[in-house]
Amino acid sequence: MERGYWIRSKPVYTSLLWHEKATSHLIVAQGQGGMAVLKLLQLMHPKQPITVLYTPQSDADYSKTLLKVVPEGLHILDTEEKILQKLDSTLHTLYMGMRLYIAGSEDFMWTVAKVANKFGIEDAGMMKELTGTLARPIYCVHCKAITHDVTTNIGKCSGCGRMLFVRDHFSRHLGAYMGLMVDAESPGDLPEIEEIYP
Amino acid sequence: MSMIDVKVAAVEQVTPLVKHFTFVRQDGLAFPAFSGGSHVVVSMNVGGRVFRNPYSLMGSPADTSAYHISVRKQEHSRGGSLFMHESIEVGSSLQITYPVNLFALAKKAHKHILIAGGIGITPFMSQLFDLHRLNANFELHYAYRSPEHGAFADQLKASYGSQLRCYTDSQGGRIDLLALLSKQPLGTHVYVCGPNPMVVAVIETAKNLGWPDNTIHSEQFLSPGVGEPFKIHLKKSEIEVHVPADMSMLEAIELAGVEADYLCRGGVCGRCEVDVLESDGALLHHDHFLTDAEKASGKKIMPCVSRARCQKLVLDL
Repeated sequence: MERGYWIRSKPVYTSLLWHEKATSHLIVAQGQGGMAVLKLLQLMHPKQPITVLYTPQSDADYSKTLLKVVPEGLHILDTEEKILQKLDSTLHTLYMGMRLYIAGSEDFMWTVAKVANKFGIEDAGMMKELTGTLARPIYCVHCKAITHDVTTNIGKCSGCGRMLFVRDHFSRHLGAYMGLMVDAESPGDLPEIEEIYP
Repeated sequence: MSMIDVKVAAVEQVTPLVKHFTFVRQDGLAFPAFSGGSHVVVSMNVGGRVFRNPYSLMGSPADTSAYHISVRKQEHSRGGSLFMHESIEVGSSLQITYPVNLFALAKKAHKHILIAGGIGITPFMSQLFDLHRLNANFELHYAYRSPEHGAFADQLKASYGSQLRCYTDSQGGRIDLLALLSKQPLGTHVYVCGPNPMVVAVIETAKNLGWPDNTIHSEQFLSPGVGEPFKIHLKKSEIEVHVPADMSMLEAIELAGVEADYLCRGGVCGRCEVDVLESDGALLHHDHFLTDAEKASGKKIMPCVSRARCQKLVLDL
């Protein structure tokens, strides 16, 4: 890639920081994202009510510490599915002025974002911190399947089996990077496959 | 800038201060389609001097046979609104720009709260057609001085009854912004158009309640205002231009025969932004476009509404 060049659709993630003017705070985190929640709480325990939804992972579980540190509204759930259900029911009870904070893998963050979108919360209304892994969800432009947790420059499509070149071009609507067939012109002729999104 | 030649087809006195004008095209063709919240700039030749004022389109966006604007007679008019009120009648000819929308509805919003003050009702008039057609969830909160100044209030009540709340200042009616914006469902957007204190109050209240910036929308066209005369030097054109007290920099530049870019002429859109190459005094920024940091840097100015108090001002034009 040419130095200094970047694709504008590629999301920019930051560290989570409290919105001081919020009327309530909703934090959704996965695995290593628990550390981002702890960092946030170390900055301040805000005056407004907070809700924390956390799903631990086998290699990163901050449940114990969160139980000690989070003053109220902590829900630890063991699957992503349960987190999303809880998120949905929680969003039904909240009003404008609620600020949403998400920490975890890109796949997780954009899955959470999709639920929030249903409530009219747009990208600009959420803060995201990427934690734990650079693994990418890939959208196959040929068969439209999404392949999760791709850590290499070229990944095999979970839908059609094509070998896909993983681009930086990102769709907020799909929550995935664009993947296109890498050996369309010379089948089987693949560049070296390397792990670049560990 | 390409303009559309129009003829005035109807004039209606709506309130003691507001007139409603209906335009049709001179060439008999249909107008361009537009979206709710759009405005046009009306060009008026007042005794040889050209005024160009932005006005919101207030008809239905589905109707391209005519455009509708309403003009409030300004107490301190430099001539534009006075001219519209006193010299324009059925059959008069005018020129207008193509419509531009700087106050568009957020299509993804789940609910829309529209807050209008006085003549600030006009951009909402066309937006209401769109909201109604889209079957959107909306409320209109409309504040005005006294019953006779509530332009289109009866028409709005008839069309949007339960979604409309009127607040009449002379009868003690006030919008309680804190209560209004406190318990709104997620996905709500707020829009405000009206006098400056009202616009500021809505923006501040929403921000203090934690509403994300992208959910707060406002429009407020400014008129250039009157100030001290000053001189500017246009670097590329290599000419000196005198800006009289009652003329904007943009108007003076145009009068000198230099073509400058513009869209809204009301300090909102940012199109006329010009680089300041040199200045030895104060830039009097009046626009709503530049950030405070940009204004403080003294490197840019919006010639449609801003002025300067200095001996030397060199612009990159």
